[in-house]
Amino acid sequence: MYGFEALTFNIHGGYLEAIVRGHRAGLLTTADYNNLCQCENLDDIKMHLSATKYGSYLQNEPSPLHTTTIVEKCTLKLVDDYKHMLCQATEPMSTFLEYIRYGHMIDNVVLIVTGTLHERDVQELLEKCHPLGMFDSIATLAVAQNMRELYRLVLVDTPLAPYFSECLTSEDLDDMNIEIMRNTLYKAYLEDFYKFCQKLGGATSEIMSDLLAFEADRRAVNITINSIGTELTREDRKKLYSNFGLLYPYGHEELAICEDIDQVRGVMEKYPPYQAIFSKMSYGESQMLDKAFYEEEVRRLCLAFEQQFHYAVFFAYMRLREQEIRNLMWISECVAQNQKSRIHDSVVYMF
Amino acid sequence: MAGDEGTEIYEEREESMDAAVGKEEAEIKTEGKEDENILQFLDSLDGYLTLMDSVNSKLREGWFDLASARHSMGTLRINSTLLDLKYHPAASTLQVTDQEVGSLGSVPRFALSKWASKGCGSPKGKDFSTDTDSEIGSPLSQQLRHRGVSEKPSAKDETTLAADEEIKKERAKSLSVFGGLVSPKLRGAQLSFETALETLVEIANMRASMLSAFERITEK
Repeated sequence: MYGFEALTFNIHGGYLEAIVRGHRAGLLTTADYNNLCQCENLDDIKMHLSATKYGSYLQNEPSPLHTTTIVEKCTLKLVDDYKHMLCQATEPMSTFLEYIRYGHMIDNVVLIVTGTLHERDVQELLEKCHPLGMFDSIATLAVAQNMRELYRLVLVDTPLAPYFSECLTSEDLDDMNIEIMRNTLYKAYLEDFYKFCQKLGGATSEIMSDLLAFEADRRAVNITINSIGTELTREDRKKLYSNFGLLYPYGHEELAICEDIDQVRGVMEKYPPYQAIFSKMSYGESQMLDKAFYEEEVRRLCLAFEQQFHYAVFFAYMRLREQEIRNLMWISECVAQNQKSRIHDSVVYMF
Repeated sequence: MAGDEGTEIYEEREESMDAAVGKEEAEIKTEGKEDENILQFLDSLDGYLTLMDSVNSKLREGWFDLASARHSMGTLRINSTLLDLKYHPAASTLQVTDQEVGSLGSVPRFALSKWASKGCGSPKGKDFSTDTDSEIGSPLSQQLRHRGVSEKPSAKDETTLAADEEIKKERAKSLSVFGGLVSPKLRGAQLSFETALETLVEIANMRASMLSAFERITEK
């Protein structure tokens, strides 16, 4: 049962909800994607995007264009939208919007630490970081030798500090430890975000619980599939699954012991929302799984806009933009590699 | 007297006929040799073109799989800044030797050792030189082929399995620059590029034999 959000939401959130709904109207449509899919080269793509919201970000880019340039410039548009909303937001919306950044902060931390382990230049790594995940002391991550130092020297003053309680060891950072750290941090972040949304209550809680549960379940499946045939033990794999979601706890028990994609399918098909996803794929195949999950995510995100007076629209907008950028990246790669027949393998249409 | 002369003439004619036949046989042999060289050259050329097609196709597949992996895992997880700049021995090595090949003479031979041991004395990697005749199961192989499944794995099977396990570990290790848990698409890209590397070595060998065959044809 919702509260009387309709009476009070617009006082602090009305302007930003209107802004985000306006941004949502600017997302690329199927007609836009059809035009992009027919481009012969990246300059054609730039020309088609000049008529969209990305036009001003790409117009000054010299030829020849590269796929990474298109992705970077489109991401700048997303960052500008986000910053505008964040600077106008009041509590608790501002905290909600900050939570959206933490995932990118975790990715940036892992990028810096991994790159430093591989003796890469810190400046080079900073240029590759996601702009939404930047924080002041990020460059000093390069001096840490283990997770304890990472926490003590840098991360204790960042919003990620509470997520480190399960990661603190004095083991030296290596590729597998870093991967476990990434997934453990993300697990803690998702659980914290979930609890925060539950505290907010109302439509925000209901819609965000569904979206975050789906995210947790998708991560569980990806972790399972990616860890098949690796050194990661069943116990360690299970520790990386979040403690909420449709698959928690019995689905996690079964996923932890899966040794191939067909066993994963057997587990997931017991859950009706995921049965539809796996029914699109043939046995032994995992190539289309990503697209199937993205399509389901987009469907749920679009549904978030059907209700008013809640914060989930902001989360949904950010995720839809990220999906759009993924689509543009994919189309650009297919065009650049002359593989236009494979474009529809991974493009997810929104409207 | 006339008979003797006749016999001499006959013998001379026989000798000249024998010489002519001999000359003809030699010419036939030379032509046959030339035809053999031409056929060898054309075979090599055909093999070379087929391998070039194959490597182009494999590279295309590899780049596409890499783009798929980047789409799946994110651009932050797969990019060139994550590649390891620390000093480490090469995962694969190439040996070049000169080999005497029957009619072709001395031909450079390229042999690829993939996933060679890192820092150990004896190489644990497999030798992927393209001498297919020595493979087990080949029609020209000298080894007996066993029907059915043998109850006890032979020592050679166990060694092969152990080597395969090591290679699997080395593959996972080289992919770990992108993280401990990577998408199957990235592993697929790795296999495609690995196959392309093997094909490149085969192309080098084929090119060497093709050039050698061409030299034999143009010799006068």
